Parts: sequence; C-alpha cells; structure tokens
Amino acid sequence: MATVEPQAETVVAGTVVAPGAAAPERRRSEALYFAVRNPKLLFGLGLVLLLLLVAIVGPMLTDREPFEFYDELGQPPSRDHWLGTTAPGQDVYTQFVHGLRASFIVGALAGLVAAAIGMAVGFLAGYRGGVVDEILSMLTNVVLVIPTIAVLIIVSAYLSVGSLIGEAVLIGVTSWPWVARAIRAQTFSLATRDFVSLARLSGQGSWRIIVKEIAPNMSSYLFLVFILLFGGSVLTAATLDFLGLGPSEVMSLGLMLNVAVSNSALQLGMWWWFIAPGVGITAIVAALYVMNVGLDEVFNPKLRKT
Amino acid sequence: MGSRTKKRAGGVGLIASVIALAVAASLAAGGAGAGPQGPAAVPRGDTLYTSGKQWGPYTNFNPLKPDYNTGLVGLVYETLFRYDPLKDRFIPWLASGGKWAAKNRYVVTLRPGVKWSDGKPLTAADVKFTFETQKNEGAQYGTMWKTGLRQITTKGRTVTFRFSGTPNYQEWDSNRYTVPIVPRHVFRGYSAKELVSGNASNTGKIVGTGPFRYGAGAGGSQTLQWVRRDGWWATKAYKLRMPMRYIVDINNTSNTASLQNFLQGKIDLSNNFFPGINKHVGSRVGTYYKKAPYMLPANTAWLVPNTTKKPLNDVAFRRALAESININRIVTADYQNIVSKANPTGLLPTWSKWIDQAQVKRLGFSYSISRAKSRLASNGYRDRNGDGFVEDKDGDSINLRLIVPKGWSDWETAIQIIADSAKDAGIKISPAYPDFNGLVEERNSGKFELVINNEKQIGNTPYTYYDYLFRLPVLASQTAANFSRFSSARAWSLTQQVNKVQSSSVKKAKSVHSQIQKVILEQLPAIPLWYNGMWAQWSTRYWTNFPSATGNQATPSTWNGYINMTGIDALAKLKKK
Amino acid sequence: MSRYLARKVVIYLLTFVVAVTIDWAIPRLMPGDPVSGLIARLQADPTAAQEMHGYFTESFGLDEPLWRQYLNFWLGLLHGDLGPSIAYVGSSVSDLIKEAVPYTLALLVPAIVLSYIAGNRVGALAARRKVLDNTALPISYVLTATPYMWLALVLAYVLAFRWEIFPVSGAYDFALQPEWSVEFARSFLAHWFLPFLTLFLVSFGGWAIGMRNLIIYELEADYANYLQALGAPNRLVRKYAYRNAVLPQMSGLALALGAVVGGALVTEIVFGYPGVGSLIITAIQNRDYFLLQGIFLFIIVGILIANFIVDIAYVIVDPRTRTGLQGS
Repeated sequence: MATVEPQAETVVAGTVVAPGAAAPERRRSEALYFAVRNPKLLFGLGLVLLLLLVAIVGPMLTDREPFEFYDELGQPPSRDHWLGTTAPGQDVYTQFVHGLRASFIVGALAGLVAAAIGMAVGFLAGYRGGVVDEILSMLTNVVLVIPTIAVLIIVSAYLSVGSLIGEAVLIGVTSWPWVARAIRAQTFSLATRDFVSLARLSGQGSWRIIVKEIAPNMSSYLFLVFILLFGGSVLTAATLDFLGLGPSEVMSLGLMLNVAVSNSALQLGMWWWFIAPGVGITAIVAALYVMNVGLDEVFNPKLRKT
Repeated sequence: MGSRTKKRAGGVGLIASVIALAVAASLAAGGAGAGPQGPAAVPRGDTLYTSGKQWGPYTNFNPLKPDYNTGLVGLVYETLFRYDPLKDRFIPWLASGGKWAAKNRYVVTLRPGVKWSDGKPLTAADVKFTFETQKNEGAQYGTMWKTGLRQITTKGRTVTFRFSGTPNYQEWDSNRYTVPIVPRHVFRGYSAKELVSGNASNTGKIVGTGPFRYGAGAGGSQTLQWVRRDGWWATKAYKLRMPMRYIVDINNTSNTASLQNFLQGKIDLSNNFFPGINKHVGSRVGTYYKKAPYMLPANTAWLVPNTTKKPLNDVAFRRALAESININRIVTADYQNIVSKANPTGLLPTWSKWIDQAQVKRLGFSYSISRAKSRLASNGYRDRNGDGFVEDKDGDSINLRLIVPKGWSDWETAIQIIADSAKDAGIKISPAYPDFNGLVEERNSGKFELVINNEKQIGNTPYTYYDYLFRLPVLASQTAANFSRFSSARAWSLTQQVNKVQSSSVKKAKSVHSQIQKVILEQLPAIPLWYNGMWAQWSTRYWTNFPSATGNQATPSTWNGYINMTGIDALAKLKKK
Repeated sequence: MSRYLARKVVIYLLTFVVAVTIDWAIPRLMPGDPVSGLIARLQADPTAAQEMHGYFTESFGLDEPLWRQYLNFWLGLLHGDLGPSIAYVGSSVSDLIKEAVPYTLALLVPAIVLSYIAGNRVGALAARRKVLDNTALPISYVLTATPYMWLALVLAYVLAFRWEIFPVSGAYDFALQPEWSVEFARSFLAHWFLPFLTLFLVSFGGWAIGMRNLIIYELEADYANYLQALGAPNRLVRKYAYRNAVLPQMSGLALALGAVVGGALVTEIVFGYPGVGSLIITAIQNRDYFLLQGIFLFIIVGILIANFIVDIAYVIVDPRTRTGLQGS
C-alpha cells in the first residue's frame, strides 16, 4: 500500500553520512533513544511479538491437531475447547494458533522474496542507469500494472498451490514492483555521491559497491520496506486462502474464514469460528503497519514532532 | 492548491462519482434483461422464488444442450413421459402412451390437442425432428443412435422407433423422460452447430408446450423470470394448474448470500446445499423429511480406488479400507445428518426393489476398526517400522493420496475425516485438494490413487450405476465411467444384460441385478459412502403444501432433470398462503 | 510535456503487449484440460462424452498449434472479440464482461474518488489537530489493516442480515429487472451502498494515514519554516504544503488502484454483486480460462488507462513536469 510507504527521501537524507566511525554509533544510539520513547513502535512491536509468541507456543499447549475431529460439534468456547469448535467438530483454538503460525511464515517468506527481487531490480536499475534501467523499469511497470490479486487468483486457480512455501513465493514474485521503484529512486540520488564515486574509482564491482556502500546507507529504509511487505503479504495470503486458492492442506487463518463462511458460521450462530481468524489477521497486519509508522518516525526526525 | 482549487477538485470528484453511478445504472438498465414482456416488479404473493441451481449468467436457452437455464426443460419444454422415482412409474406426458409393439419396435402415441405457445399444434413431425437432431456430432443424447436406434417413422399421431438387434431397453426408458421435444418449425432454422452448442438466445423464439413462457432476464446475471401462460394442455388433461403467476429463479453467487436471503424469506424454494439448515427446520423452514436425513437421496458419493495400483489392486486391502471409514462421523459431523449412509451396493434407496437385501446382509461391509485391523494383519499388511501405519506385502510403505476438488468444502472435510479414521486402522491417507481440472486430469488418466466421486444421478434404472462401475474397455483416458479401471468381463457383460432386459420382466431382471450386486459387494470396485441429498428446503412464508414424505411425494428440486420427473407435480400442488 | 507524455504512451503500449502475451500464456501453461473439465461437469453419459470432447476441443480452436492460437487471440482482440466462453458455451467473453463491467465501475469509481478526497482531507486535518490525530489515526490503521472480505462479511451480517437496514446481496431487488424507473434506481442504490461502504472504508484509512504523514513532513520542510519565519499566515503555509503533498499521493493513487481492484473483486463476491469480481469467481468455479483471460485483460487495460489519466493529471498539477524537469 503506497499510502503508508516510508517517506523515502527524508529517511535517506536523515541518515546518509560521510564514512566515519563515530557518526554511525551516534546515529544508532540516537535511534534507540527515540525508539523506546515512540508509542506507536512500542505498541506495534509489542503486539507483533505477542502474536509471534502465541504462534510459537500456542500449538505446544495442546496435543490436538488442526484437522482432527472431536465429538463436540459447533460448540462455543468452553474449558475444554478454549475457542470452541467448528461445525464438523474441529478445535478452533488449535486451528487458530496453527493458522497464526502459517501467517507468520508466509508473510515473512513472501516479504523476503519480494524484498530480494525488489532490491535486486531497484539497486541495479538505479545504480547502472541507461539501458539496464530502461529494461528493468519496463519490467517493473508491467508487473506493477497487473493487479496482484487478479494474477494470484488466476494462477492459484490453476497451479493449486500445495504448500505455504509455494504460496509465499507466488505472492513474493508479484509484490515487488513498488519496492523496486522506490529503491531505484533512492539509489539514483545516492549513486552520485562522493563516497560512491570513490568506491567506483577504486575499481570495485557494481554489486560490491551496492552491497557495501549503498545498501547500508539505506538499511533503515530497507527494514521498513520489509515490514510493509510482511504485512501486505499476510493480507494477500489471507485473501487468497479465503477464496479457497491457498493450500488447503495447511491450516491458515484465511482458510478458517473460508470454511467458516462456507458453513454460514455467523448466520448459524457460531460467531467464535468467524471472529477468531478475522481478528487474528487484522491484529498482525495492524501491528505491523503501526510498527512501520513508528519506525518511520524514529528514523526520520522530521516526523517526530507529533 | 488554493482553496478554490481544492473545492474544484472536490467538486470534480463528486461529479465524477455521480456520473459514474448514473452511467452504471443506465448501462445496467439498458442492458440485456429488460424484456418487453416482463412487468416492472413481480408481485410477491404471486411469485415463487427459487434458487440453488444456477451459478452463472442465464445464457443457455437451448434445451438440447446440457446445463440449460433453470426450468427451461420442465416449465417451458416438455418430454414425452415423466418419471416418478419415488413410485417408479412413468407418467404419460406429451405422449398419451407408448409400448413395445415388437421386440425392437417402440411405438409412441402423441397426445391430441397439445399446442405450442405460438398456437401451432404439436405433431409427430416435431418428435421425429427432435430425436433426429441427436444424430449430430456432439449431441447430448446421441448415444441411442450408436446403440441400435435405426429409423423413426411417423403416421398420424404415432411415432415408431425402429432398432436393430436387441435394444438397450433401460437406456431407451431414460430417453423417454429426458429428451425435451422441440418445435420443428422453429428449430429447423438452426444449423447443426447451433443445435449442439448454440444458446438459442433469441428470446422471441422460445416456443414450448409447457405451462410457462419466457418473461425476462436473458443473459443477465441476477434473476430469470418465467411467466405463466394460458393454453397449457395439462390443465384439461390432468386438471393441473400452476398456482403461481411468476417463477423467478435467482442466480447464486455465494452460499452465504443465498442462505441469508433464504432465512429472510426472500427465497421460497431453495435447492442450495446449506450445511446446518437442519437447525432451522421447523415451523417456517421445511424439508421433505421432518427429521434426519431431511433430504431425498439424489446420488451416491463413492470412494473410488485406482484398482491398477498397489495395494488397491488387492481386494482384501480395499475391503479393510472400506471397514476403516467412520461413515457415521461424516454423516453427523460433516453434514449434520442431511445425508445418509449408503447401502453397501451403492444403489439408491429408490431402487430398493432391485436390491438383493439378503445378499447385502451376508456380503456387505460395515465400519469396524477391529475387523479392518485383523483383515490387514491376516493379509500380510503389517506395521514393521513402528510408525503406526501398515506397510504392504513387499514391505513398501503405504501413503495413499486422496483427492477432491479444491473448494468443495464438505468433501474436503469428508476426506479429512476419512484420513483421520483410517489412521486408527493403520492405513495412511494424505488428503489433497487439486483444482477441478487438475483432478479431472488425474482421475481420467489413471494417475490418481483415491478420489471421491458422485457423478451418476437418480433415475429410472440402476443400469447407470453398474455402467459407471464396470464399463469396458478401459481406455488410456476414462472420460465418464469406470475410473477405478476395474476389469471384469463378466460384470460388464452382466451390466449390458441388464440394459437389454425390460423392467417389466421383473424376475429375469432381478436375477441379473443380484449377480451384479454380488460382484460389487465382494470385489468393491468402488466403495460407496453416503447418499448426497436432493437439496431442498423451503420457506413457508408465502407458499405452503410443499412436497413431504407424509404429503405430496414429489421431487422438490429445480435442478436439471428433476422438473420433468415430478417437479411439475410439486409446483402444481403448492398453495398460496 | 509532449515528450514526457509520448514516452509514457510508448511504455504503456509495450507494457500492454507484454501483459497480453502473459495473459494469453498463463492458462495454457496450467495443468489440466479445460474441455475435459467441462465434459466432467456436464456429466454426459460415457459414449456421448467421448464425442463431445473431440467436438468441443475443435470448436474452441484448442487443437490448433500454439502460435496459431496466439495469432488468433490478437486478431480477435483487434476486433474487440475476446473469444468464446468455455463454461457458458455459446456465449462470447466480451458479452459476459460487458454485462458485468457497469456494476464494478459503479463501485470502484465513487469508492476510489470519494475515499481519496475524504481520506486526504481528514489526513491533512489530523496533521494539525492533535485530538483528531489521536482518534482518526488509530482507526485508520485498523481500517487499512482489515481484510476487505472480513469487513464486507461483518457489514453484511450486522447491517443487512441482523438489522435488515440494507439488502444482503445482489445489485437490485429480485422482483425487478434492470430498466429506467425510479423504483429500480432506488433498489439499485440500496443494494449498492454496503459494497461501496466496504471499499470506501478500507481505502479511506490508507489515504488518511498517508496524507497526514506527508503534510507533517511538508510542514517541517525548509520552505515552510522560511515562510513562517517571514510571518506568513498559517493558512498560506498549509496551502503550499498541501499542494506538495498531493503529488506523491497522486502517484500513490496509481499504485493503490491495483489494491482497490483486488478489494472490489473480493467485496463483490461477498455481496454477490454481479460485477467483474463475481464473474471471476464464476469463471474459476467453472474453469473457464477464456473468460478469465478476457477479464484479466480487461482489468489490465483499465488500470493502464487509469494510470495514464493519473499521469496526465500529474502533469497538469505539477508545473515542473511541464517545463521539462522530472517530477519527484
């Protein structure tokens, strides 16, 4: 979502500094100082960590499996089934924590894939310029213009993704264009700086320069980008799973929603089955977005006044 | 941007939105669907709203092409006979009678006084024309021309069908109540291609003998309106009169939307599959049976094994697999009792007169983990590596892939239950959910191991089920039958025999049936699981006297093929509230 | 400026060609034969099924060599013919899409435009009023993080099913047919409101947050400080800040289109709104890849056009591009 994009130029402007040992350390402690005082960051990060804890520890608190059946059909939350049961008798709590786990895995993986591709394309286009840039820009535009959900729907309908990894890769491969564009813009301005010219003169290869000089100067921005991709991927995966296009062999929050809706959970009074996955998805994504904005404020002094 | 520009931008935006809405509304209004015959709004009390059959735009008005719009055959076009599956009898409809004048000659007498909706009389020429359209390549009912039908002649009001060799009597009986009769004077203007795959979408040319005519909704995607017409022949002949002036069928987009509309009373007769509807059955929501299984059975869901693959090629293993399936959990948990457990022969209850029940008691399988375990053990299937699952006789591990189409959530749950219960017996099953086309490919090509299937519907004869199980030869690609690739020349020859025995020769037929069922029970070419329901629930807010086990025993479904069974009777006997 | 636009046009055309090729290729790379799927769904008897398979494969042109199919696709495209539908044999894809498009546009255009305007306004206001900032912002975060379909389901359940204020599904009442009448218009609006609201709310959140951040950034920029130091009234400063903030939001609009289209698809599905989204689901349920391919193409063209419009608007709004300098 472009609208919560970190303010790219300002971040870079605020953190680029001539190579020198003292400055990065001061920068880092300065960032830390503001980090622990930023309510948005604390709240967002806190929620993310809490959910992560639930995703990791949750399944261990029960020896039930998400696809196992019990005799209590469509029962509300009780001491035996903490989040109730589904209409055919599966345990909602077990499904919820496994689904949360799946969301984290897909989100992180897809985020990494998209970040990797976006960075590769963006850095290369921004640094090299010229023909390379034209070609990569066109590639970016093509993938950008194609609405992600539509592609995913169509491809998933046919490929029948059978695993979380497959789904993550699919999402990652279609979500990178805005990243590439933004990074390209950054790299353009950075590539003209003195320290880069120096590195180029000393005969270092393009990729080495990118990895050692340019990227570190954008590290905070890259982190923000990853958080955004993470959140966006969780949403996209949930939508796909809800439409029944994700891997049905693995329990996910979107799949829970899908089955709950197919069984008209709300209309038949099984609200717990419907509310849990929706709240789960919203919580992860909102936490990530809030964390993102908090981090943005931490790294960018100009946003700090509020 | 100054405040003036801001205001301008805001104003522009508002204007743009209003224009967009107006354009959209007008496009929608002017689009296909604004038929000249349809009124502005159909009166609620005089309209029967149906839903559940249509899941896409109302494009197909060709009764000869499969998957036609809801109600086209039955309400508009009619058949020579109708069939009552609950009482197993044929009802003379457009034909006043028909019989085998000789072993290979069937004579139909057409009912006098039947008129098409444009006033022209129904003649024998129409019947001859209709049946001859099925000679075209790709025609839906073309099989009869390949299995013996040679010539059709007419004389006055009789139509004579001549066969060579012994006719397939059961197949012919099916055709008697499924082939819709079309008007020659309209359809002869269509090319072969249009007859086989065209939509006949010129709404001015929808001419039928049935009680309704086209109202509005062609090509559109929300509703289809049928309007009652005068001059229906059955009013005189059978004293049948349709109590509703309009039948409006609603296109389905999602089950939840349909359920919500149904519970709000916006739909009268719903043929949707609504899991959990049993909770609502009561004073305002009705089903055929007042308690489990609530629905009439419509077809059998089978667990189809690929009998060419190890260990499914071992009948003892297939039997152990059958015994390890907790079918009751599927019935109660997955379907909340709106389906029922299938007979071990897989045949529908409406065919009970052909089922050798004593034999079923002797040879039929039933759920028993202990029996499954001992059967596996005594046939060489043991858990040698201690992982909880048995290996086959050669020591190779067993992990059977069981597939259903992705998105069919009740089947997805069913195979999860099957895997869960087979685990108790030590059989490892891995559920998978390929998309529909992928599944069809896997199944037809023989790459699959286990699949759930339910393709054959209720009808006049179990022949279709035998054919489904035993058809030979097994080809590289199986398109519609014998997916398990089960090869038994004897069973297939018996099946063909059933086809060639008239239902009236009851004793002779029964003996053949019994022999075929013995093969099914002993060999388990496929494992019958449950009967899917003829999904039907209704709201009694505006209409009453829907079919029921204790009242009007008619098929309450608008799915294709059911109105020309006893759906017409179900509709005709409804009463306004 | 004309050079800038000309370059854009060339890029769009190239993008179009590549996108069309990908669009045509994807279904053909997928496993499974659509005609077998069609026959399986029609449940014909075995003898007829064999023959129908060959017949339909030929009638869809699926037995021709791939390059010929590709060529035919382009030829058809130039005539505005997107091919036949597989699931709805006998209907053309163009007809089916034409029926559905007005409904999707009716949802998308007002939702995008109004949420953009309202979101930007509220965001700008929130940037200078602490109270609004502390309430509107968290709400916006939650809204933008909510999956479209969940919000749609909740709205449908509460406002339509439970409280019966709005209808549950469809574009108009079941008793009506599309036509020119007040009754139809009223029914249309009543059915339109909830899906529109869903799209509006989720998009609104995103714009509000974005605008707020941009305004804050602009208010701290050098020129703003300079103006303030000179004693210029706050309103003047805000006016310039807003002008500058709008630019990234505009390019953000083009990017966000993809997301909103996706949201519209899912929302239509929940409300059974007979637009392009419902058509996609129907196409998927019936494995109609000609239909999917056609819809997909249509969406791409739509977005390309929308992007182009935004580019033109950008040129109008940002004087720097007009004088030949590149915008931010």
